[in-house]
Amino acid sequence: MKNHEMRQQLVQLGNGAHALAIQMLGNADDATDAVHDAFVKALKQPDAYDARTGPLTPWFLRVVRNHCIDMIRRRRPGDVDVDDLSDPGPGPEALLETAQRDQALQQALSRLSSEQREMIVLRDYMDLSYAEIADVLLITPGTVMSRLHRARMALKEELGSNE
Amino acid sequence: MNNGKRHVDEHVGELLSGFVDGELTQQERQLVSLHCDDCAECREILTNLRDLRQRVGKANLSEVGEDRWRETMDDNTVKTTRSIGWLMFIAGLLAIAGIGVVGFLFSDEIPVGMKLIIIAVYGGLATLLYSVLRQRLIERKTDKYKDVEI
Repeated sequence: MKNHEMRQQLVQLGNGAHALAIQMLGNADDATDAVHDAFVKALKQPDAYDARTGPLTPWFLRVVRNHCIDMIRRRRPGDVDVDDLSDPGPGPEALLETAQRDQALQQALSRLSSEQREMIVLRDYMDLSYAEIADVLLITPGTVMSRLHRARMALKEELGSNE
Repeated sequence: MNNGKRHVDEHVGELLSGFVDGELTQQERQLVSLHCDDCAECREILTNLRDLRQRVGKANLSEVGEDRWRETMDDNTVKTTRSIGWLMFIAGLLAIAGIGVVGFLFSDEIPVGMKLIIIAVYGGLATLLYSVLRQRLIERKTDKYKDVEI
């Protein structure tokens, strides 16, 4: 794939990749760095992506995810702030109700396991198919449905206990 | 998965998520539909899953915006070389303009009156340009819709 074509497609994946990285790293700034590094890595060697092996989205999300895993490995204990899983948000001008609902959702997400948060973001936020999720997480497609269901039920429970 | 053996009276569990996501076979979809007709518990879970999916889909889990990603994409070498390029270009322009202004001000061939008129014209243009640029800058900083693409 040519560099400028990949660039166009990657721009649209930025926010989804950022949401995934936030859920993995627990920090919006680190997540931005992770997405930036993944962009640089992908654009430096656009030929590393082979369109015959599948769509760009799962491939790029896998690059982001691997980079997040590397960052987590390099971290010292205590660096992760699980309460800071949200982006700074829309600011004071945003509708209060929506902001509160999103905050409650983010807090509930923060109490799930990292794997469950990834599942929820990949499916419900990014709208990836089960096959694509399996591709990103390197698991068999057959396990996606059960893991996702457990993640959703856990999130439902957390939201229920919060609201 | 043992859905092939699952009876319509058994709770359908994770198939509810597959149903919401449109990831089931026709046989599985029928099984879930039939089961939910008679099972209030699973029907409620199904509704909850749909609400949850919608809620997460609409949430602002990241609000960075495509423009920011476009900027972030460029690696540090590109950013540095671009900055150096702009710096050299602007410095060159300023040097040429400075030489022109000094030459103009200290020229004996142009009468003082004419110099004042020319200074007034260019000074006025520069002030107007500054005013417009300042206004644009303020608008850009405070425009909450600047990242919205139509």
